[in-house]
Amino acid sequence: MKRRSADFSSVHPAPRRLRPGRRTITGLALLAFVLLGSGFLSACGGKTASTDGPPSGQTAGEATGGSSGGEILIGVQSPTTGSEAKMGQDINQAIELAVEELNAKGGVLGKTIKLTFADDACDPQTATAAANKLVSQGVVAVVGGYCSGATLPATGVYHQAGIPMVVTAANSEKIPAQGYPEIFLVNGTTKHQAKRAAEYMVKEQGAKRIALVHDNSAFARDLAEATKQEVEALGGEVIAFEAVNSDENDFTPVISKLKSLKPDATYWTAYYSAGGLFIKQFKTAKVPGIIGVGDGANDKMLVAIAGKENAEGTFITMSPSAEFIPEAKAFIERYYAKYGEEPGPYSALSYDGMRLLADAIERAGSTEPAAIVRALRETKDFPVFGGTITFNPDGTIQKSNFIVVVVKNGEFALP
Amino acid sequence: MNVWGEQLMNALVIGSFYSLIALGYSMVYGIIQLLNFAHGDVYMVGAFVGYGVLSAMSGAPLFVGLGAAFLFASLATGLLGLGVERIAYRPLLQSSRLVMLITAIGVSLVLENGVMLALGPSFRVMPVELPRSGLSLFGADVTYAQLAIIATSVGLMLLLDAFVRRTLYGKAMRAIAVNPTATALMGIPVHRVIALTFFIGSFLAGSAGVLAGVYYGKINFMMGFIVGLKAFTASVLGGIGSLPGAMLGGYLLGFLETFGAAALGGEWKDVFAFVILILILTLKPTGLLGRTGTERV
Repeated sequence: MKRRSADFSSVHPAPRRLRPGRRTITGLALLAFVLLGSGFLSACGGKTASTDGPPSGQTAGEATGGSSGGEILIGVQSPTTGSEAKMGQDINQAIELAVEELNAKGGVLGKTIKLTFADDACDPQTATAAANKLVSQGVVAVVGGYCSGATLPATGVYHQAGIPMVVTAANSEKIPAQGYPEIFLVNGTTKHQAKRAAEYMVKEQGAKRIALVHDNSAFARDLAEATKQEVEALGGEVIAFEAVNSDENDFTPVISKLKSLKPDATYWTAYYSAGGLFIKQFKTAKVPGIIGVGDGANDKMLVAIAGKENAEGTFITMSPSAEFIPEAKAFIERYYAKYGEEPGPYSALSYDGMRLLADAIERAGSTEPAAIVRALRETKDFPVFGGTITFNPDGTIQKSNFIVVVVKNGEFALP
Repeated sequence: MNVWGEQLMNALVIGSFYSLIALGYSMVYGIIQLLNFAHGDVYMVGAFVGYGVLSAMSGAPLFVGLGAAFLFASLATGLLGLGVERIAYRPLLQSSRLVMLITAIGVSLVLENGVMLALGPSFRVMPVELPRSGLSLFGADVTYAQLAIIATSVGLMLLLDAFVRRTLYGKAMRAIAVNPTATALMGIPVHRVIALTFFIGSFLAGSAGVLAGVYYGKINFMMGFIVGLKAFTASVLGGIGSLPGAMLGGYLLGFLETFGAAALGGEWKDVFAFVILILILTLKPTGLLGRTGTERV
């Protein structure tokens, strides 16, 4: 999450020199996107529409290449090379599993689903090429999308071709903000996370006085600001809205200040490495109240940096990963039986995204992309792990799917 | 609860780190007019050596491990300082100050990227955790770790002060600062004394690195960059070349940052440090305790 959202939103203070890998990649991706993304995107979009001719858009109404021969061709976009390759593999495997199960039950509209995979390498430029490849293969819909930075330009290509995409992991607010009617996000965005965090602190923990701390990166600040609104909407009071420099190791001035304000709950919206230190200094200074972190800090290193004793009881808001959803137990077992490994953090969402798409095609009664878009839009209370999906007009989910887990004995666990 | 008392302790801890590093900047500048920008990275290496020692001695009692890490890391970084001086700076002593400055930046890049290549870019977490226990001083919660850091730092500074003022080598250092040529003509081994200065400066930076590494618990290859710049600011604030100035500058910067951040918000911490640097360079380039042209160390 941190990376997908951060890809283009976390404009960290100008990189001074070589930074640690994750951030460097984020920075490079950002730079590449800013410099090339928009220009490249419009050029490609134009090309698809004029010279190549979009196979599926052009032939809308007749049987398309994607649905002929008793097969429905669905594209999967995910990063299977580069730093996020593991995430892409998790997503692809979950989607494959879903398709295998759907086909075993007789497929969709009496046809079998066939997948075609395209690697976006978590890179905006590669993603645009991958999206064009899927479009030219004649897919009727696309599922996947992990890195927001890569998914964003790709959605433009699908929009041009009129092909629906079910985005299963990427969750930047910028994707729905484009206003493309074909794009649906099954993962919650910043707003959903803020809502869940505020509910947990104010309603479930009875906290009245909330402190919010971010690191001035766009992602963390957005989450902090959204949380402030949600906390106030629930009748809580935001007594501190602080920023720190995440390059620093010493947050004690801010922490001593928090201590004097006596918050009931403190919520850190930035990343795990500074977050771990913040928790450590927070506990050492004996600041009252509970402390929690956003999904940017959803990393086991958080506990290592904070120290097991200090991290105990910290709450974390995160996208639903299969290991924390009781109903997903059977899914985990089937996944393990097929692949010999545990599902990744976004496997459950991707599995659900594929099932949702198949359901929409069934309801549409047609493999025509426009009909699938309409059916997706009309999705009502589609059951997924940990909840149901109904879409807002902008293609985001109505109910927050974020969950809260708590550190217990050094491990993340359901509260 | 005494929030200002706690902020005071926070400031003293940060100030101790700045002071220890600023001393190295000031000593080296005082003796050969070099702004040793690799100094912050020496601090980083100190933290990594401490990490290595603590990892190797993970079975030992906490204080034995900490003591060994402190001694070993300080000595190792002292030797690193000697090596850097011998390889990078001594051949350039006769060249212009700009050449030395650029070399220092080069050394800084070599140290940072060398550590990154050898140990990877990710964060390391120190294998020990300091106890959270402490006491209440005038209503302010103070941990023993904070007191130990301040006491160790002040102790090292007092030792350094005694060394420079009272020993023959200290006298030789002061003499070189005044006039290296005349000092050499008096039969004093100038190179050896310069090397000693690097050793002491790096020793102090290395000890600060271990203390900070253990106190904060998280280290990586870039940790010396910002701290190095802050310590440079501290030594300029106190008057670069002046040892009491470096100590004063370090603590003063710690106070300004802490109270500035407490009053205006944590994101302003760096702004305070660098606004001070600009103000001092513009209004009083010699710093608070610096003098122009005369004795420096």
